[in-house]
This record gives sequence, C-alpha cells and structure tokens, in this order.
Amino acid sequence: MQSFAIHPFETPDTAADLRAQVRRIVSECEADWDATDRANSWSVADPAFSARLGDEGLVGMIWPKRYGGHERDPLERNIVLEELLAAGAPVGAHWIADRQTGPLLLRYGTEEQREKYLPGMAAGRAYACIGLSEPGAGSDLAGVKTTARKTDSGWIINGQKVWTTGAHIAHAILALVRTEPESERQAGLSQLLFDMDTPGVMVRPIINLAGQHDFNEVFFEDVEVPHDALVGEEGNGWRQVTAELALERSGPERYLSSYALLRYLIAEQGSDKAIQPLIGKLAAELWTLRQMSMSTAAKLAQGEDPAGEAAIVKDLGNSYEQQVPLAIQAVLDADFDMHDGSDLARTLTLLLQTAPSFSLRGGTREILRGIIARGLGLR
Amino acid sequence: MSENRSLLCDTATTLLRDATDIHALEEAGFATLLVGEADGGFGGDWGDVFAVLRIAGYEGFDLDIAGLILDPVPGDSLEQGAFAKVSLAAGALDRILEMSIDYVNTREQFGRPLAKFQAVQQSLAILAVEAAAVNSAGAGAALAFDHGDAAFEIAAAKMRTNQAIGIGTAIAHQAHGAIGFTQEYPLHPFTRRLNQWRMEFGNDRYWSEKLGAAVVDLGADGLWDEITRRSDRNTG
Repeated sequence: MQSFAIHPFETPDTAADLRAQVRRIVSECEADWDATDRANSWSVADPAFSARLGDEGLVGMIWPKRYGGHERDPLERNIVLEELLAAGAPVGAHWIADRQTGPLLLRYGTEEQREKYLPGMAAGRAYACIGLSEPGAGSDLAGVKTTARKTDSGWIINGQKVWTTGAHIAHAILALVRTEPESERQAGLSQLLFDMDTPGVMVRPIINLAGQHDFNEVFFEDVEVPHDALVGEEGNGWRQVTAELALERSGPERYLSSYALLRYLIAEQGSDKAIQPLIGKLAAELWTLRQMSMSTAAKLAQGEDPAGEAAIVKDLGNSYEQQVPLAIQAVLDADFDMHDGSDLARTLTLLLQTAPSFSLRGGTREILRGIIARGLGLR
Repeated sequence: MSENRSLLCDTATTLLRDATDIHALEEAGFATLLVGEADGGFGGDWGDVFAVLRIAGYEGFDLDIAGLILDPVPGDSLEQGAFAKVSLAAGALDRILEMSIDYVNTREQFGRPLAKFQAVQQSLAILAVEAAAVNSAGAGAALAFDHGDAAFEIAAAKMRTNQAIGIGTAIAHQAHGAIGFTQEYPLHPFTRRLNQWRMEFGNDRYWSEKLGAAVVDLGADGLWDEITRRSDRNTG
C-alpha cells in the first residue's frame, strides 16, 4: 500500500512574477501590520487590504472572467496564497469567500446567485461566512436543528448557529439548515445563501480566551428569504458541505498560519547556537508539510478529490503549528524576557494561548483521524 | 506515474521479492539506473531511484541495492546515503502500516476486531500520517537531486524521516501487541532496520545542527525565499 500518492506540483511559468507582485504589495502595506497580527494572518480582517488584493487581481483568481474572476491556474492561486501567508498578510476578510463560498457557488449556485455575489467577492469587497456548527451540532454536524420552512414566497428560517467565523464582517451567510420537516441526521438538509442584513438575522460576538473577536453566535428569528436562496439541490446539503470541507483542509494556511513566529525566532535568537537545531528541525517539518500540501493542491487542480490527503495535511499541519510555540518556549535562554515587548515575545505569548484552536477549527483532530482511519479500511 | 516508472516498479517488485543475490539485479540493469540512455543506461531520474528503493524497503530486501544504484553516481555520498535511507524508510513504513492494518482487522478482543476501537483507529491514523510525510519528503528530495543541488531537501527529508521512524515503529508494535515482539513474527525485520537507518547517514543532531545553521545564515526573510526559490526550479 502507499500512504500518500504524490502528485507533482509543476510550478507555473508565472510563479516568479506572482511572487514578485505579492512581495511588492506586502512591502507597500506591511508598515501597518503588528507582529501579533502577522502570526494569526488568515484570522485578521483588513477590508482595505482585501480590496487592494481584489484590485490587483489576486482574489477569485481561478473564477471565470464573466463573474469578475481572472481564469488563472489553481496552482498560480496556490502560489499567491502561500506568499501572503508567509508574509503574515491580513487576508481574513475575503478568505472564506475566496476559498469556499465562491467555489461552491460556481459548482452548485444558480446564474443569479453567481451574478449577485461573485463579482463583489472577486473584488475583495464582499465577504461571506459559513453557518455550520450549532449549540447541539459541533463535530457531529448532522445534528443541525435550524429549520427553513418552505412557503409560497420563499423560506422562513429559525434557529441558531455558533462559532461562525467572520459573521460580524460578512455580507452574506451560507447556512446549512433543515429544509425537510422531521428529517433526521444527514437527510433533509440544504444550503441557503442570504444577506446578513436580512431582517431577523442577529449576530452576537464571542470573545476568545486571548481577547480576540473572530467567531460569533448567529441567530435567525423568522428570517424570510426567497426560494432562490437555495444553493444546489434541496436535500443535498450534506453532500455539498462535505465536498466544501476538503477545500478547507489542505491549503497552505494549515502550516503557515503562524510562520511569523519562526521568522522572529530566526531574527532575534538565531545566533544562539543552542537554538539552531530547533530552527533546523522546524524548517524540516515546514518543508515536508509544504511538499504534502503542494501535492494535494496538484491533485485538486487535476479535478480529483483529495479528501484523504487533505485530512492528512490538516492533521499534520495542526500538530506542527501547535508544537512550534511550545518547542520555542522550551529552548529559549532562561533570561529571555517574555515581557520585553519584542516581536518574538509577543507572538509567542499569543500563540501559546491560541494554538489549541488549530486542531479544532475546520474539523477536530479526532474527526480528521477518523477520516484517515476510514481511508485505511478501519472502522 | 509515467509508463516507464510503472514498468520499472513492476520489474523491481518482482526482482526484489525473489532475488537472493545482487548479481541478478545487476544483470537486470539497476546499476545503470541513473546512466543516460545514450551511454547504454536506463536513463532514469532520481524519482525512479526513490521508487525502486521505496519498493526495496517495502519488500524488506536485505541486499545493498542502494549501493548498486548510487555508488557509480558522482556527488556527496553522505547526502546520497541519507536519500537512500529516506527512500527505504518510506517503503518500510508503508509496509508496517499495512501489516498493522491487517492485524487489527483480524485480531479480536472483547468480542470484536481491534480495528473497531477508536483508540486503535486514531493510533494507526498517526502511523499513516507519519508514513505519508516520509513518502512526500522522499519524493521532494528526489526532485531536488534532479535539479542538482539537494542539500536543503535531503537534510529536511532525513530529519523528518528520523522523526517518523520513532513515532511509527512504536505505534506498529503497540498495535501488534506481544506477537509483534517475537522472533517468529515478521514485524521486527522492518522495525529494527528502520531504527538502524535513523542513526545512519546523519542522526537528528547532525542534520538539525547543519540545517539550523544554514537557515540562520539565510536570515529571517531568507528561509522562505530559499524554500520557494528551490521548489520553483520545478517549472513545468
């Protein structure tokens, strides 16, 4: 058996130009970026920066031009993403629309939905959030209870979502709801896409343990949306959502989200010979993860489904990113001052607190390993 | 996989399963795997070397096929030796993964196969992920050798392999229980070799000091520049 079939990532001819373009944009904007934001980059929303990327043609890169996209190669997009993440650029505002909601609309959406949402998304100016988890449906997503009742004029939605990243800045939500009354588990679920300013939608912030506001509760009280809010097929929501999750799991954000910390370690402590072996070890793991992520991107670009590989990349990437701050904390000189305001001290302080979330968001470690085990023929 | 590579792998699998002396492999042309076709060789690349050595590791082949292929090739013998161990380990880890899966699917305790227990599933998932990392690292290092300079990649790949061996062999033994600890059961030929390779051609200390110093020399912004510059050599 082969645990991981390699798909060669053939670097596009435009790679050098794209890297230069992103590095130029970064050098023009980075004066405003705080070190701690750079160690958390795809969670940091900066609408002005997203709009700038939109103007530069770096959002919705692989979408058709008639929807505002740029019809670039998926591997070109991969290069842009990894450059932005390695630089710690604040890409959070448009991230979900670019990664998930846009591609989902291209796959399942109606012509009207595409025309309404995609151009704004590709411009880096329209943002989306994804309503999946609920108080009673976390890892066991099939426990979704939010209902959408069909009427002559549309749907009436009632219920609640939770842990909804970016709901406070999003213009639209793609919610998984129960459209078939009395249906159970995976059956009878559908995806509805509607504007966040629809009457009856209420967002309440949830502040995380580090004092940051990333995710939210979203309440729906008799929210009326038209019939054409339905994305894809009625009752097919479960399948559509699981396909979408593979897009979420294998990208460079799974091993580069806190890359800034390694950069600051090299810059501030690299001359300490006692720390160099750890730098070597972390570089080795980073390089390996990048090989795996690029192979998965290449498989995806060939139109194949890399769900198993994506789970592997996410599990390994999460473990790596959680281990980095702990390993650095363990080797720093005993005199190192965690309160001296240095970039290293501040990013380390933050990541030691936020790292537990890495193996929760986008599918917990236990769920991912369950997926991997099923792929191995266990269960 | 290219058609040539597939044929090569089929031949390697057959030969490595049955061959008892290295001459059979020499006659089959493995000694000239990396020699150009114009010079009478197979005209293979380092991806082919990785594929063949991976099969040798998977089959538990005991003779020095790595030396047969690589000894005539000019270059840094430590890097080449490390590459051989990475490739062999990629195959051997996949093999002990397969053996572990078969075992837990068959062996019953508490009235059901071990594979039904989540604790066992989660543990084998970790073994699979570690094996996957080594397979990716080996393929990545092979590409770098094709471009000439693989100093960074082989350091990274060997270190990652050493890490995976430590984690992976422990899980395979844990899954097998006491039977895997017997001389009779065919798990130890793989796990003992793997643990030996961990020390050969650079242990963790050797490669981590070397790569760490090289990365620090590149500077804080230099690491990413270097990683991307090197992989961009694979322009299609």
